[in-house]
Amino acid sequence: MATYPLGSLSTGALEMGATGVPRLESGGAERARTISELDDIDELVRQHQARIRRFAAYSTGDPDLAESITQDTLLRAFRGRDKFRGDCSVSTWLTGIAINVIRDHLRSNRFKFWRQVQAKGVDAQEMASFLPSDAVSQERRMLAQERVKRLYEVLETLSENQRTVFLLKFSEELSVDEISAILGMAVNTVRTHLHRALKAVRGRVGEGI
Amino acid sequence: MTGELGKHLSEEALDDVLIGLGTAESEAHLAGCAACRAKAEAFAGDVRLFNAASAAWSEARGMRPVVVAAEAPVRRMPFALVGSAAAAVLAIAVGVSVGHHRHGTMRGDGGPGAVEDSQTQIAQDNELLQAVSVAISPQEVSPVDEYGLTARHKKHRKAHPK
Ligand SMILES: [Zn+2]
Repeated sequence: MATYPLGSLSTGALEMGATGVPRLESGGAERARTISELDDIDELVRQHQARIRRFAAYSTGDPDLAESITQDTLLRAFRGRDKFRGDCSVSTWLTGIAINVIRDHLRSNRFKFWRQVQAKGVDAQEMASFLPSDAVSQERRMLAQERVKRLYEVLETLSENQRTVFLLKFSEELSVDEISAILGMAVNTVRTHLHRALKAVRGRVGEGI
Repeated sequence: MTGELGKHLSEEALDDVLIGLGTAESEAHLAGCAACRAKAEAFAGDVRLFNAASAAWSEARGMRPVVVAAEAPVRRMPFALVGSAAAAVLAIAVGVSVGHHRHGTMRGDGGPGAVEDSQTQIAQDNELLQAVSVAISPQEVSPVDEYGLTARHKKHRKAHPK
């Protein structure tokens, strides 16, 4: 089923530069390409580090923790590359590993929870200031930055599950089925989290702008 | 098709479309209704801006190499521990098994002494396993976890999806 109007949604700079992530299917040639991609740790870093870091940073709210999650994810992927079966894209596979790494941090109590780190978490204003100049016209830039900041601030108010599912859907552009598989969560539960997140985001982002 | 007043998509129906679970009817309505489409596009625009900014933010933090060779020796320590622990467990298991076997066949009594020895041995084994479990990194799967050797360490860790 088509996703309107987000099917054509760009993941921003990740697609603008050389770090675009190809959606690989489980074909012979593509699988071979994927395997060679996984064999080269530098290539893995080049292709996926920024995307994983973004997901980790915005799902945990801790940029420093995101760095170690990202490193850990890429290292685990490289070491476990033989386990990649090609039944999803490398990108999705890596996201799944990142989720497990984050969960491990949660379990081992080394994780600093979202609300506890807000003081030194991602600064909404700073993040909004990274909005690429080609993403919006100069005269609308301030307004656009305000919209980015507002969305980020709403994400902060969501539960961890709602935020993670929202990011997987709208930043990582996974389907509900893929999210269900990657989180080991029933499709209906994913849908419920998405509905709650959307209600919060769509209800508050436009306020006062 | 144009959406008529009072027949716009409910918020829930619109959300379903946004998450890719919209019905054909909803999709058709959206295609023809400027008001509902404006709502959807406003959300898509916000998401697009957020993704562009957050991606640029992440890119700006630079590429950080993942050094496999330098990490390996550090990470190998727990694996080595796991290996020796597994070997120890195996040796103990074999030892206990052989012990039982010998008690059973050579002495032929299988008396209380044998049972006491085994229990002492098991207690010692458990201490060893616990020490090993503590010594290894929390990221690694301990042999205790891996093989469910004791009742108190049953939790399995899923290392990778799929
Ligand atoms: Zn309508």
